[in-house]
Amino acid sequence: MTFSLTLSVSDLLLLLPELFLTAWLCAVLIVDFSFKRIVQEQLAYLSILGLVITLACLAWFDVTGITGTLFGKMFVLDRLAIFFKVIILLATILVILLSIDYVHRFSFFRGEYYFLVVMSALGMMFMTSANDLLSLFVTLEFATFGFYVLVSYLRDDMASNEAGLKFFILGVFAAGLLAYGISLVYGETGKLVFSEMSGAAPTTGLVIGFLLIFAALGFKIGAVPFHSWIPDTYHGAPTPVTAFLSIAPKVAAFAILLRLFLVALSTFKPIWALLIVAASILSMTYGNIVAIAQRNIKRLLAYSGIAQVGNVLIGLAAGTKMGTDSILFYLLTYLFANLGAFAVIMAISNAVGSDEIDDYSGLNRRSPFLAFAMLIFLLSLAGVPPLAGFIGKLYIFVAAIKEGLYILITVGLINIVVSMYYYLIVVKKMYISEPLDSSPIKTTGPLRAVIYVGLAGTLVIGIYPQPFLDWAVAATLMFSNLVGPAASIPPSVTPFGG
Amino acid sequence: MAEYTLLIILFAPFAGALALIFVSNRQVSLVRGIAAGSAFVSLIASVYLFYAYDAVKGGFQFIQRIEWSRQLGISLHLGVDGIGTPLVLASAILLFAGIFVSWHIKDRMKEFYIWILILAAATIGVFMSLDLFFLYFFYEMSVIPMYLLLGMWGSHTKKYLEMTDTEGLKQRDSVGFIFNFGANSKEYAAMKLVLFLSAFAVAALMGILLIYKFSGLNTFDILILREQAHFSGPLATLIWLLIFFGFASIAPIWPLHSWSPVGHAAAPAATSMLHAGVLMKLGHFSIIRVAFEILPETTRELMPIAAVLCIFSIIYGGLVAYYAKDTKYVIGYSSSSHMGYVFLGMAALDYISLSGAVIYMFAHAMATGMLFAMAGWVYDQTHTRDIPSLGGLSNRMPFISAAFVIGCMASIGMPGTVNFIAEVMIIVGSWNKYPFQVIVAVLGIVLTMAYLFKMMRGLFYGSMAEKYSHSHDAVTVIDRLPLLIMITVSISFGIFPGHLYSVVRSGVDPLIARITKVVPVAEHPTMNIPHAASPIVPLPASREAIAKVTPR
Repeated sequence: MTFSLTLSVSDLLLLLPELFLTAWLCAVLIVDFSFKRIVQEQLAYLSILGLVITLACLAWFDVTGITGTLFGKMFVLDRLAIFFKVIILLATILVILLSIDYVHRFSFFRGEYYFLVVMSALGMMFMTSANDLLSLFVTLEFATFGFYVLVSYLRDDMASNEAGLKFFILGVFAAGLLAYGISLVYGETGKLVFSEMSGAAPTTGLVIGFLLIFAALGFKIGAVPFHSWIPDTYHGAPTPVTAFLSIAPKVAAFAILLRLFLVALSTFKPIWALLIVAASILSMTYGNIVAIAQRNIKRLLAYSGIAQVGNVLIGLAAGTKMGTDSILFYLLTYLFANLGAFAVIMAISNAVGSDEIDDYSGLNRRSPFLAFAMLIFLLSLAGVPPLAGFIGKLYIFVAAIKEGLYILITVGLINIVVSMYYYLIVVKKMYISEPLDSSPIKTTGPLRAVIYVGLAGTLVIGIYPQPFLDWAVAATLMFSNLVGPAASIPPSVTPFGG
Repeated sequence: MAEYTLLIILFAPFAGALALIFVSNRQVSLVRGIAAGSAFVSLIASVYLFYAYDAVKGGFQFIQRIEWSRQLGISLHLGVDGIGTPLVLASAILLFAGIFVSWHIKDRMKEFYIWILILAAATIGVFMSLDLFFLYFFYEMSVIPMYLLLGMWGSHTKKYLEMTDTEGLKQRDSVGFIFNFGANSKEYAAMKLVLFLSAFAVAALMGILLIYKFSGLNTFDILILREQAHFSGPLATLIWLLIFFGFASIAPIWPLHSWSPVGHAAAPAATSMLHAGVLMKLGHFSIIRVAFEILPETTRELMPIAAVLCIFSIIYGGLVAYYAKDTKYVIGYSSSSHMGYVFLGMAALDYISLSGAVIYMFAHAMATGMLFAMAGWVYDQTHTRDIPSLGGLSNRMPFISAAFVIGCMASIGMPGTVNFIAEVMIIVGSWNKYPFQVIVAVLGIVLTMAYLFKMMRGLFYGSMAEKYSHSHDAVTVIDRLPLLIMITVSISFGIFPGHLYSVVRSGVDPLIARITKVVPVAEHPTMNIPHAASPIVPLPASREAIAKVTPR
C-alpha cells in the first residue's frame, strides 16, 4: 500500500462535498460566536443552506458519473457512497428543521447544537466512503463523537445524562471491539483495503476478527444482540437527536456493512450469511415483541427501529445485487416514514409536554392533520399498501426468496402481523379513544415542512416507486457480479418438478 | 373512452377520497355530494362495463396494462372476465347504496366517507387485478380502512356495554381478550379483524412469493403465470394450501370465521354492507383467480377440502345465527353460513355449480346488503340490536318491515330473486359429486328460513316496548333509495338472469375446462405448454350454444 501525497485538483474534486461542508461548518461556528445577536433560527437555516449546496454537488456527481478513489484507496466515491450520502444529508436537513423549535429547551450552547449535528453528518458522509479498515475505524469514531455530546445535550435532565453515559460507555466498548477486530484481520491478511482482501482464506483468526467488526457495526445499527443501548438512549436523548440517531448512523453503518460483507468477505458468504440470518431473526422478533409492551412513543419507535433493522438484514442475508438494491430502497422509505413520525411526535410533545402514548388519545379530534400524518407514517413502517414501506418490505422479500431464504421470510412475514398490532394500538389511541383534553394542537412551520416532506416521500414512493428503484439499482452496480443461483436460471425454463 | 372503463371504476372513488381531504367537515352537503358523486361515476361505469362485456367473446376484456416496476416484474394489469364483472358491479352498487345508508352520520362524516371510498375502491381493485402483486396490494389495502371504520363509527355489543366499568376499560386493551365471546368492544372487533386478516393475507403472500420464485419467470402477471408456470408435487400442494387458507380466511370458511361476525356486529351499517357484501367475496374471488388459474391440477386434487369444510360453515353458521340475540350477529353468521354455499359450488368444479357460486356471490351481496342496511336503520332508531327487547316495529316503520320481508326472501332464495337461481345452480351442479353436502345445503336453507323468520318476528311483529314509540320509518327518497336499488337489482336479475348468466358462464367455462380436462404434465412430458392453457373442449361460439352445452 503506497500513499501518494501529491494530490491533484481533480483528485480533490472527489472530496469536494466533504471539504465544502467542513468549511461551511467552521463558518457556522464562527458566525455563531462572532455575532452576539444572531438568532438560532438563522444558524439553522445557514446550516441547511450548506447542506443543500452539498446535496446539489452530490447530485451533480451522480449525474455526471464522477467516481474514483483517493489516498491509496482509503476513500472511495462511487454511486453507492453518493446514494448513502444523499440519504444522510436529507436526514440531516430534516433533523435540523425538526430541531428549530426544540433548541429553545436547551439552556446553553444553542448555536453549537447545529455545529454538532452537521459535524456528525460530515463524519457519516466520510463513513459511507470508507474503503479500508483504517478509514472505517476513524470515520466511525468521528461520526459517533458528535452524537455522544448531542445525546446528553439536555444538561439538567437526568434521563438525557443517563442516555449519554450509556451510549458513550457502550460506544467506546464497541470501538474497542472494532479496533481489536481490525488488528486480527490485518494480522491474518496483511491487507487493509476491502477489495484487496476478498481472496483471503477463512482462517479462525480472520473469522473472529470479522465477528468483532460485525459486533461493532451491529452496535451502530442496533441489531440484536447489540441493541441494549437503543431504548434508553432513544428515550433520554433530545427528540430531534433521537430522530437523527434512528436513521443516519444506521444508514452509514449499512454502507460499511455492504462494502465489508459483499466486497471484502464475498468469498466466505456461507459463513457470514448464517450470522446475518440469526441477527435478522432475533432483531425482528425481539424488537416487535418488546415494542408491544411500550407505553412511551419514543421507546416504541426504538424497538420498532430494532425490528426494521432486522428487516434490512434480510436483504443483506440474500447477499445479491437485488438484495443490496432492496436495502438501499428500504432505507430510503424508512427515512421518510421515520422522520415524519418523529416530526409528529415533536409537534405533540411541544403541545402536551410528554411522549406517552396515552397522550395521543383523540388526536384525530385535536388535530386531524397530525393524526392522519402519523397514521400514514406508522402504516408505512408496518408495511401496508399503498405506502412506501410496503414496497420496501416486498422488495426485500422478493430478493430473499430468490435466494431461498424461506425461514427468514416466514419470520419476516409473521413479524409484519406482530408489528401491525402495536402500530394499530397507537392508531387506536389517535382515532378511536376520546381526547382527555380537547384543545387543538398547533404545529409550527418547520415541523409542518418535515411532515409534508415525509408524507410526500411515503406516498410518492409507495404509489410510483420506479424512479427510486432505478436510482437504487444504479447505485449498486458495483455489486453486479454477485449472482445468486436463482438469477442464473434463464427465464424461459418453465416446467418445475417439485 | 371505453377502454378506460376499469380505470374510471377504480379511480373514481380514490379521486373522491382525495377530493374530500381538502373539503371542510362543516360543508356537509359538499361532502355528501363528492362522496355520492364519485360513487355514482363508479356505478355508471360498472353498469356500462357489465352490459358492454362481450359474453360471446369471453376471456379478459377492457385490459389495461401500465408498467409499474421493471425490477420486480410488476405492472398494473387490469382486466375483467365473466367472474370479475358481476362482482365489480356488486361492489359499485353497494358502495353507492352505502353512501346513502350512512347519509345521517354526524360524527366526522368526511373521514367516514374517505375511508369507505378507499375500502370500496380497494375491493374493486382486487376484482380487476390481473397481477398477483396488485391483487395482494388492493387486498391488504382494503383491510386497514375496516379498522378505522369499525373503531371510529362502530358500536359495542350489549354484553360489553353491560360489563363496561372502570375495570372493564383496562380489560379492553389486553391481548388475552381474544377469546371473550359475545362481550366485544368495537376496538376489540376491529383489532381482531385486522390481525386475523393480515395474518392470513401474509400466508397468501408467502404463496404468491413461492409462485414468483418457482415459476422462474420474474413476473407477477397472472396471465403469463397461468400459461407458462407449472407446479407439481409437494410444492404445488404447499402453495395451494397457503393461497387457499390465506384467502379463505376472509371468505370466511369455517374454522377461520370467528373475526367475521364480531366485525359485522361492531361495524356501522354501510361498512357491514360492504364487508358482508363484497369484502368476504374477495376470498372466493382470489382463490378462483390465483389457485384455480395458476394451479388447476392441484385445485382438482385438493378442492375436496373446501367441500368438507363448507358443511361446517353452513351448519355451524346457521345454528349460531338461530340462537344469536343480536341482529347483526344473526346476519353476520348467516353470511358466513351462506358463504359455505359458495365454497360448495366452487368445490364441485362443475360448470353449473361454479357459475352458481359466482352468481351467488352477486346475489348474496344484494340480499345481505339489504339486511344490514335495515338492521342499521333499526339500530339508529332504537339504539339497540338486542332482538328480545325489540318487537312490533312494523307499526312504526312499515316500509322498512316490508323491505325486510323482501330481504329475508332474497336471502332464503325465494323464486323471483337472483338468489334462487344461484342456489338452484349450486345444488344441481354439485349433486353428482357431493350429494351429502347438497342435502346439508338444503337443510341449511331451512335453517336460514328459521332464523330469518325468527329475527323478523322478533323485530317487527308482536308487542312494541313504549320506549321505541319515537322511532320512525324511512320516508325520504335518500333513505329509501339504497334499499330500492338493491331490491330492484335482486328481483330484476331474478326474473331476467340471461345476461348475468351468460357473462358468468363465459368466465367459468374456460376455467372449468382447464381444471377438469387438463392432462397431467407427468404423462406428457413433451407437451407444448402454451397449448395446455387453451381449453381442450372447444368453447361454444354463441350464447345459444352455451345454453346447449351439457356439463360433463
